Amino acid sequence: MIGELIKGMATTLKHMFRDPVTIQYPDIKRPPRTRFKGRHELKRYDNGLERCIGCSLCAAACPADAIFVEASENTDEQRFSPGERYASTYEINMLRCIFCGYCEDACPTQAIVLENKYELSFYDRASAIYTKEMLIVDVPVNGNPTPQAVEPGTFDKPIPDMEDPR
Amino acid sequence: MHKLEVYRANGGYEALQKVLNEYQPGEVIDIVKASGLRGRGGAGFPTGLKWSFIPKAPGEKYIVVNSDESEMGTFKDRELLEKNPHQVIEGAMIAAYAIGAKQIYNYMRGEFMGIGQHFEEALKACYDAGILGDNIFGTDFSCRMYGYYGAGAYICGEETALLSSLQGDLGQPWSKPPFPAIEGLYKKPTVVNNTETLANVPPIITNGADWYKSIGTAQSPGPKIVCLSGHVNNPGNYEVEMGMTFHELVYGENYGGGIRGGKKFKALLPSGGSGPVVKEDALKAPITYEGLTPYGSTVGSASVVVMDETTDMVWAALKMVHFFKHESCGKCTPCREGTFWMERLLHRIYEGHGTEQDLEVLQSVATQIKGKTLCALGEFAVNPVLSTIRHFFDEYKAKVQGGQKKVAAKTAVPTPTD
Amino acid sequence: MSDQVNLTIDGVELSVPNGTLVVDAAKMIENPIPVFCYHPKMAPVGMCRMCLVEIGLPVRDRNSGEPVLNDDGTPQVSFRGLQTACTVQVSEGMVVRTTTEVVTKAREDVIEFLLTSHPLDCPICDKGGECPLQNLTMEHGKGTSRMDYSLKMKLDKHVPLGELIYLDRERCIQCGRCVRFQEEIVDDPVIRFHNRGRSLEIVTMSDPGFDSYWSGNTTDICPVGALTTADFRFGARPWELTPVATLSPHCPSGANMTFSTRREAKSGGRSVIKRIMPRQNEPVNEIWISDRDRFVHHFADAPDRLKKPLMRKNGQLVEVEWGEALDAVAGKLQQSGTAVAGLSGDRVSNEDMFLFQKLFRQGLKSHNIDLANRRLAGGDVVAKVGISQGSNLLNLGQGDAIVVIASDLHEEVPVWWLRVKQAAQRGAELVILNLRPTRLDECSRNVIHYQPGQAIATLRQLVNDAKVAAADADNSPIKAAADVIMQANNVVAFYGAEGLTYAETDAVARLLANLLLIKNEEAYAGRPNNGLIPVWPHNNTQGAWDMGIHPALEPGYKPAAKPGMRANEVYAAAQTGALKALFLLAADPIGDGLMAGRGQLDFLVVQELFLTETAAQADVVLPAQSWAEREGTFTSGERRVQRYYPAIQPVGEARPDWQILAQIGERVGLEKPAFAASLVFRDLAKAVPQYKGMDYRALARVEKQWPDVGGDDLYYGGNAYENRVGLGMQWPAAAESGAVDHFEVADVDSELPGKVVVVRTAALFTPGTLINHTELLQARMAQPTLIIQAADAAKLQLAQGEKVMVEVAGRGVETAVRLSEDTPEGVALLRGVPYQAGLTELKVMG
Repeated sequence: MIGELIKGMATTLKHMFRDPVTIQYPDIKRPPRTRFKGRHELKRYDNGLERCIGCSLCAAACPADAIFVEASENTDEQRFSPGERYASTYEINMLRCIFCGYCEDACPTQAIVLENKYELSFYDRASAIYTKEMLIVDVPVNGNPTPQAVEPGTFDKPIPDMEDPR
Repeated sequence: MHKLEVYRANGGYEALQKVLNEYQPGEVIDIVKASGLRGRGGAGFPTGLKWSFIPKAPGEKYIVVNSDESEMGTFKDRELLEKNPHQVIEGAMIAAYAIGAKQIYNYMRGEFMGIGQHFEEALKACYDAGILGDNIFGTDFSCRMYGYYGAGAYICGEETALLSSLQGDLGQPWSKPPFPAIEGLYKKPTVVNNTETLANVPPIITNGADWYKSIGTAQSPGPKIVCLSGHVNNPGNYEVEMGMTFHELVYGENYGGGIRGGKKFKALLPSGGSGPVVKEDALKAPITYEGLTPYGSTVGSASVVVMDETTDMVWAALKMVHFFKHESCGKCTPCREGTFWMERLLHRIYEGHGTEQDLEVLQSVATQIKGKTLCALGEFAVNPVLSTIRHFFDEYKAKVQGGQKKVAAKTAVPTPTD
Repeated sequence: MSDQVNLTIDGVELSVPNGTLVVDAAKMIENPIPVFCYHPKMAPVGMCRMCLVEIGLPVRDRNSGEPVLNDDGTPQVSFRGLQTACTVQVSEGMVVRTTTEVVTKAREDVIEFLLTSHPLDCPICDKGGECPLQNLTMEHGKGTSRMDYSLKMKLDKHVPLGELIYLDRERCIQCGRCVRFQEEIVDDPVIRFHNRGRSLEIVTMSDPGFDSYWSGNTTDICPVGALTTADFRFGARPWELTPVATLSPHCPSGANMTFSTRREAKSGGRSVIKRIMPRQNEPVNEIWISDRDRFVHHFADAPDRLKKPLMRKNGQLVEVEWGEALDAVAGKLQQSGTAVAGLSGDRVSNEDMFLFQKLFRQGLKSHNIDLANRRLAGGDVVAKVGISQGSNLLNLGQGDAIVVIASDLHEEVPVWWLRVKQAAQRGAELVILNLRPTRLDECSRNVIHYQPGQAIATLRQLVNDAKVAAADADNSPIKAAADVIMQANNVVAFYGAEGLTYAETDAVARLLANLLLIKNEEAYAGRPNNGLIPVWPHNNTQGAWDMGIHPALEPGYKPAAKPGMRANEVYAAAQTGALKALFLLAADPIGDGLMAGRGQLDFLVVQELFLTETAAQADVVLPAQSWAEREGTFTSGERRVQRYYPAIQPVGEARPDWQILAQIGERVGLEKPAFAASLVFRDLAKAVPQYKGMDYRALARVEKQWPDVGGDDLYYGGNAYENRVGLGMQWPAAAESGAVDHFEVADVDSELPGKVVVVRTAALFTPGTLINHTELLQARMAQPTLIIQAADAAKLQLAQGEKVMVEVAGRGVETAVRLSEDTPEGVALLRGVPYQAGLTELKVMG
């Protein structure tokens, strides 16, 4: 009986000197895995133009009907994206989203990416709807914010190439 | 000869008088049928048969003379209209009498604006002399003829495109049926004949079908004007008896007189850009409609372009495909897109940026156009590509291999513009 | 030779009418052959080469003409390479193969060629998702591309052909459907091909660009996204749109349309109408709608729509709750005894009008009911000799005659203009009577331009001439026209109100009816494809007649025991004080210049969409729902009763007209209101004998239509074409079931009101309450123009281009003077101001 007790205590004792498995979230955060699918981000090109062309294919692919897109036409005075059109409204209902990543697959310009942010909590349903302003990433260091005024004829492709849009 | 007096002094318009006074329209058609005269525009369709398709019922009918010769290296109709317009007018009038037409249009290519003057003068002389107009030669046959200039389009040599253009529409062919013989110009029965074909008619009437058949071969009777150009010593128009060999044409004393600068013969285009290119072995073939069949080509309108050993065949193919791309009317998909694609590919290959894959695609695009186009232009457009690849594959191969070394495949190449 | 031809397509034997194209025959057995340039409404051209198939004909012995048989006894068939199925007509014994390797390869090749110049911008293309090119590429394409992207052409992607239509040159596949539509179908050849080869492009030849009333239809039939409307450009992806069937809110032809709706963020998540497309209904509008119908919908979502009931308190209109407003209306109407009147507009539904007259006739015991703006009479005549059931203008052609009197169909009802013009092209004879040239004149060999005031006399002469044998009369053009009519197999007569007073239009209707009845037993009236069609000013004027919106006619044309006041008497009584209360349903008589002001009225109620001039003077304004928010039925000029459906949520607290009227009815002692439009229609169908057998379910019945344009394959463009929710039902005219007596025609005073009379002519884009809300069309609006002969202009000292103030309905309108010798002497045509019938004296104001 005593023997068992000592054996048990020994196990306890042994673990007292080991590093703990748990961490002190939220003070300490565990880095997500590379293939983790967290909250979406809308990406930009290096020059600051938005990748999203408002094609709504993400919304079409979404099995949870969480995405809502409305498009508008770019002009050279008010250019948001290198293509012919851009998303003037982009909303994702995070309560509906199941983080399947189909939107990423559907995107022809790699504009929407499920990144590693996972802290999603809301006090009401309305605030679960992430708008374009909340989803889009910051303008890169050497880029300009959108809308940009560009020289006419700079962007003449209806759909930009994946990299280095011209 | 372009003066009415001179033409008449040489027996001009006697055939017309003979026809008007002695023959029924049906008899004229029979004579032309018996003569074996075949269309000189390129297709070689029996002329008498064509006339006989016109409905006999009374009503508006038209004869249209096709002087829109735009084939590369063809310049026979031009000379006819310049030097001997009355024979064309007379032939057209005989045709009009044969089918019961009262209006004749001569559709000339836009570039004939200057040459057409001779024709217009000849027309005026005929009207003044009462040869055109009402009650010609005291008979109850009335006929009027008009000259019309196109706006410079190869495709308007195709009969339905020509008729569209003559009506004032865009020069695009229409899908047959309806054939012009039933619904042609302004939806009325129409015969479209080449200028040279009609110029053959008066002598047939004067001398009879048997005389005509005694010239040339059995299947291709009569004389033929051959437009010889390219690297020969004496280019020009030659009237030859059908059945003469191409060798005689190129090297004969009275004809081409050999290759310029004594260089070696390389290839020959028997019918401008639209017939497949042939090599030296075909020189022994006779100039007849069937003569080149064993060599995979056709005599067409007999616009013979000779190329010597210095010619870059890829360049030649590019030149011809550029022509067809430029002249495609754009109505049907395979021709519009196919010629465009072929030109871009050939340009890339010629510039030395092409790959083996480009060559494969080029070949397959050309095959892909074949048999799908609305009119013959698209069918012709693949001939330069397919025939040069067949006969001169090495030259392509060399360009493609050289190109791969020179440039990385993905680099953008400046593309040709019009 | 039999009319049917037997052929085999992919082993399936079928029998089709002689003259059918192979591509149509294949579609009939649901083995469709892919096409781009072919469209069943247009002549085939065989350009795109997509429909290449193998066609074999039976081999016949040269001598005997007998079919040659194979060893096994089957007929020997010879195939001649690939042929376009769209240009080849079927023939006896033909064998078509569409599944062989050659054909499959040909399709793959043609698709590859088309895609070499196509930008492949499907993700942002408005057609993406309902695109024939996309669909056919998925079905027949290769799946990989051999065309290097760097070799592609760069072309303009944003070419406005006009304000309404944009062209994307890169996407265009040069099928020519748009060019051929403009030339062949609507005879407005304002867009053409330009250049040749790969540079072939669509250009507009008109100023302003793409100047046609039909331009929007080209976007429907475009098999790619090359033509888009300015309205819908980048508006939504097609798969996100909800289709809702509707009808034209303007056009008495009853054109069938489909709304495409979608929720929109900037409208706060409301469903909004993104576009309107035509819906196939072959006897009505086939698959075409005019640009007015296509772009008119913007009024439904306009920000200035009435959202809450308004009541005048201390001289101000203030928002109140429904209960208060309804109580006030019911109370005031009852207090006024029989000195009440109700005037209705003619754009509301049958249900609304039925309850409107019920409120007055049964609830308030008043027969003072009429249309607020009476232009065209003869509804009672139409009930007897109107165009018969089972008619279709498509059936008219060689040997038939169409009469058009006092109407400019091209401007008033473009769909009818199109169908009449096409009938003329098929060989039908047109007889046109008008005081001025109209566009239909060019299709007619019998055009009679009568002098102003001579319409009745001319028509009377025509009818008299038609009664006598050919030899007994002079050879006047009128006699010639009469002969044309009497020799025709079928006669359809359209009549309008241009330059005619209301009384004159009544005489015109009766005279035309007599014309159709001349042959007594074999009269035209009562037979299919024969009869009278009134060119009503609005979409549901016919319904107003049927529902008894008439002081002397109760629902179903039952004569009222004690006729009430007509509209003009009501307006007069309002000024003198003889009338105490007036209820206006969807009408604006003050704005239209019919009523001087509210006059001595105690109480004025207006039920409207907008705060019109009349509504601004009212005591109570009731906000009604527009046709996009509710359901109901309209009756077309061909007496076809058709349903329309709710597409968007109600604006504010607006209620459907019928509901408001039923709720007022309940308050004045009628039974409890029905809670659905379908129940109102059920009651209505009981009260109106002509509507017997109709209910919402019957009206929603559909059957397969030919040509089959609405299928999922989208070969012919437009996924909204398919009609799933109702072809409507035509009610029978009296002449169909028994003899109808000839009509008495009263003498009409045709004296002209002045030396130069103003005839107001219609223009499709005339400013109006509804159409003014479509910004896109503002540049197309007809500007006020006074068209006058040079001689008359000289007398009045008017010069070309001069701006003059002309008195129109009691107020001045600035118009530009245009001199035209087409205008008869003594007439000034006034175009571009709201269209009214009748003649007035030309008064040029200082």
